[in-house]
Amino acid sequence: MRWFGFGFNAFGQIRVQEKSGRGESSSALHQVKVTHPAELSSHVDKSGCCLKTSQIRVSWSRRASLHLDGDSCLSLAGFGESVSSEDCGISKIESYGCKDVFISESHLTLAFPDRIETWDLQKREKSPSWSMDIKTHAEGSDVNLPLVPGGYIALKPPLYCTLPGHLKARSLALGAEHAVLLTATGAVYSWGLGSHGQLGHGVLTSEEEPRVVEALWGMSMTRVATGGWHSACISDGGDLYVWGWNESGQLGLPSRGLRKSQQKSSQQTGELCYDTSTPADEKLKEEEEHEDVFISIQAFPALLDVSPSCEIQTVSCGSRHTAAVTTTGDLYTWGWGEYGQLGHQTVTSSDEPQRVEFFRAEQMRVLDVVCGTWNTFAAAVKEEVACAENSTKCTC
Amino acid sequence: MENLKITTFSSMASLWSKISPVVPANEDQFPLQFSDKVELSVVEMLQRSRKQLYSDITSSSRLLNAQIILDISWEKLNTGTWRHVDKEWRRVYSYGCFFKVAALCCESPSEDKILEAVRTCDMGLIMGAAIMGDILQVIVRILQSHIRTLNSTKEEDESERAEVKRIKIESPLVSAIKEELAVPRIRCPSLESFKTNYLLPLKPVILEGIIDHWPAFNKHPWSIEYLRSVAGCRTVPVEVGSRYTDEDWSQTLLTVNEFIDRYILNKDGVKALGYLAQHQLFDQIPELKDDIRLPDYCCLGEGDEEDITVNAWFGPGGTVSPLHQDPQQNFLAQVVGSKYIRLYSPENTGKLYPHQSQLLHNTSQVEVENPDAERFPEFAKAPYLECMLQPGDVLFIPVRHWHYVRSLELSFSVSFWWS
Repeated sequence: MRWFGFGFNAFGQIRVQEKSGRGESSSALHQVKVTHPAELSSHVDKSGCCLKTSQIRVSWSRRASLHLDGDSCLSLAGFGESVSSEDCGISKIESYGCKDVFISESHLTLAFPDRIETWDLQKREKSPSWSMDIKTHAEGSDVNLPLVPGGYIALKPPLYCTLPGHLKARSLALGAEHAVLLTATGAVYSWGLGSHGQLGHGVLTSEEEPRVVEALWGMSMTRVATGGWHSACISDGGDLYVWGWNESGQLGLPSRGLRKSQQKSSQQTGELCYDTSTPADEKLKEEEEHEDVFISIQAFPALLDVSPSCEIQTVSCGSRHTAAVTTTGDLYTWGWGEYGQLGHQTVTSSDEPQRVEFFRAEQMRVLDVVCGTWNTFAAAVKEEVACAENSTKCTC
Repeated sequence: MENLKITTFSSMASLWSKISPVVPANEDQFPLQFSDKVELSVVEMLQRSRKQLYSDITSSSRLLNAQIILDISWEKLNTGTWRHVDKEWRRVYSYGCFFKVAALCCESPSEDKILEAVRTCDMGLIMGAAIMGDILQVIVRILQSHIRTLNSTKEEDESERAEVKRIKIESPLVSAIKEELAVPRIRCPSLESFKTNYLLPLKPVILEGIIDHWPAFNKHPWSIEYLRSVAGCRTVPVEVGSRYTDEDWSQTLLTVNEFIDRYILNKDGVKALGYLAQHQLFDQIPELKDDIRLPDYCCLGEGDEEDITVNAWFGPGGTVSPLHQDPQQNFLAQVVGSKYIRLYSPENTGKLYPHQSQLLHNTSQVEVENPDAERFPEFAKAPYLECMLQPGDVLFIPVRHWHYVRSLELSFSVSFWWS
């Protein structure tokens, strides 16, 4: 399995920036914005062995890659990380044996078989700023971060929050100021800031406590995801539901804000203007025609057809974009694209799901996708390997 | 023509030399300090931009960096539930604006880039917080005077004049005010008599003759041309839609020129109504502040002068402020055009059907000039006062008095909220 990344790269979180002649890190466009899917360089351990990346977690400025083979450890890329990643506060040493990782802009949480540790990334301390021992086989010890026994780790201090015991959480997604939780029975709960409809309760009010998303009641869900102000989930049958703010088309529904800003940028001459596909006056007409169907806020879950007759296998949300993988191994992206996070080799936003053609062209099958704030990471395998993997479950 | 080009270029080349004296001389004199709410990675971006400011790196690299700061702080400004976090992020946003302006102006910029820089300053002034001695306010004045020297040689657009005249003679549509319902009028009362007869009993009144001395009526009579000349390239928030209670109502940011072209002169044939409403334009554009004065009667209040909120209300005929109440005393001064206003005393709140929601609880559900008698049967029983506010009139709207306002033609009013 190979990992690719595209989008925001100002901190070298996708690929390490080349040093310019004057010894100063050059911020040329192609380095800050990776618009073409770039394969992540593999991490090599001390014995010279290449570490396979099993999972990726991303914050705005960093990427954490989890290597579960062998001794299992973590490597970090991005802000504050030198190329070798050996001399930073949390090195691979401290992470040896970790099974899961969760990263926010200020904290890194590692799950070990017997404990959870949260490290403050701002302070570079020698010991974790928060930790919790886990009794193995205790209830809730088998869940994924940010869930921990009895609660979850929030993005900001105070880190540990408790959850009502009756919820039986299976997974949890944390947005900028809201949370969406999937229970063991496939029900969806949400809480936090509701200003942009991101909770899916049909109103714009906030919720202090987890509240079931009634519109999805009775349908069993398999995955939940959250962006800055939007949310998504996938049903057992592979249907994708989205709700929240559609400011940049992140819901895949017609976005007035997006059309407006595209008009503006095509009217402006010079500065960072890439959208030359449609003349402004034509867009104006288009907008008038679509005046009634624009959606700014979708306060109830809406079924989104990503592409005709395909099922969705996984979904992930960036702050203002969304990425989904179909069961046929195609990656689709939509929403904000200013940093190249849609992978279409442009910096254009889109309010319609579009297939990332790179993987097709490379005859690769996408298996997983993880969105960072302004970037996207996808795991893919060559078609023939994918077939073999599916039939024999062999390692590759 | 050839001559014009040469002067244009030479004055453009000197723009950065006008701005650089107000920018710190070097990195050491340019502190970047934030609370720990602003993550180190964001501070790193700010530091990179600061470094670029004193380097010879290209404008496009600087713009890219500044845009990252603007994008991340914009996201934070749209996220927050904690007000104290907002303040820090508003500062970051203003720094992003500053770095963007510097990037736009550093290499002899085209006029479009200068206008973009003005827009960027305004975005910082509207959404950000003051930084570096309000440097965005300082820079925008430099930019504006620079643009003025560029434009002074350009010919004026004669065709527009004709259009403006046509708009001004449009006759207002309103039935005559019934005498028994008319808001009383009084000419230049003494402070004492205003206090005794109107302020203390909280009675509405129209004060005549108290703003005739404003430069807005004499030295710089406010007109579309005048607004264009002092504020044309400035960005302001505009309300689009007939009433803020409507579903399709929205707010947008436009330059004063765009607003005038689109919503006053209707150049694009846009049907929607635009209203530059409840905006502290006078803090943003000091030239306009110099054209008005605080009414002397405000001194009868308990607050300091700085606590008086001065708002601009500028728009075409037909703009409507639905029946609502405000938590402060209000002097509404009419400078251009006329407005129909209806007033209900707070004693009649029960007959006015305020919205239930927290956000609109100070606003009535009733369409005042077309009430739904079935849904709101009590409304017709509520006594009211009404008036046609004319240029030079100042309406005293006592605290919590319900008021409904409709402009009858192109109108510019100034409101003073005081306590």
